Amino acid sequence: MIAIQTGDVDIGALINGAKKKGTGAIVVFDGIVRDDDIREMELEAYEEVAVPELEKIAAEAAATHNLLSVDIVHRIGRLAIGENILVIVVSAGHRREAYEGSRFIIEAIKAGVPIWKKELSRDGDRWVPGEHPHGSGKKR
Amino acid sequence: MTVRVRFFARFRELLGTDISVTVQDGTHLLSLVKGIAEKNREGYDAIFDAKGAFREFVIVMQNGKRIDTADAGSAPVADGDEIAVFPPVAGG
Repeated sequence: MIAIQTGDVDIGALINGAKKKGTGAIVVFDGIVRDDDIREMELEAYEEVAVPELEKIAAEAAATHNLLSVDIVHRIGRLAIGENILVIVVSAGHRREAYEGSRFIIEAIKAGVPIWKKELSRDGDRWVPGEHPHGSGKKR
Repeated sequence: MTVRVRFFARFRELLGTDISVTVQDGTHLLSLVKGIAEKNREGYDAIFDAKGAFREFVIVMQNGKRIDTADAGSAPVADGDEIAVFPPVAGG
């Protein structure tokens, strides 16, 4: 399952679905709205581009790390502290592949998938700066 | 010809989103986005530097594919194109 959605994620169902033949390890990454003196978080996505990019990342992770299944669900809309933002569930024959595949996916999402977060707090709102700030592919 | 321009995140707040514009043949990406951004000073300054070039961190897509902002001045737009302009991504 690769999705961008407003609703919460049934992580248990994803884990059950990830138990393919040959599975020896499942790694779950769950990104959460952290209590950084904020009230809520608001997320938006360029969905028409973000979903195909998530699918591409999932396919690359599966091929590179021998994953048996990959689920990526990223939420958008308003989320309260403690809510799930992003759930990644991967299964593999062994723990090393599962851990490395999961790490590959989260870093690829942070690097390039068009999704943004805004922190809403009593002192005002703030867009979370990206970790990969360059829009130009060429060095200038 | 008609082109659709979409801004996201902070740029959306300043300039709106899903803007349909009619432009002349031969219009380039840079002039297209400038023409829209000039309607809001803060929006313009968020996207363009003092020399009128895209700020280094700005990301531009044409029909879902990234365009190097250094080439935007010579990249033509075509009828039906969807142009997206946004700040660095911050998902996850």
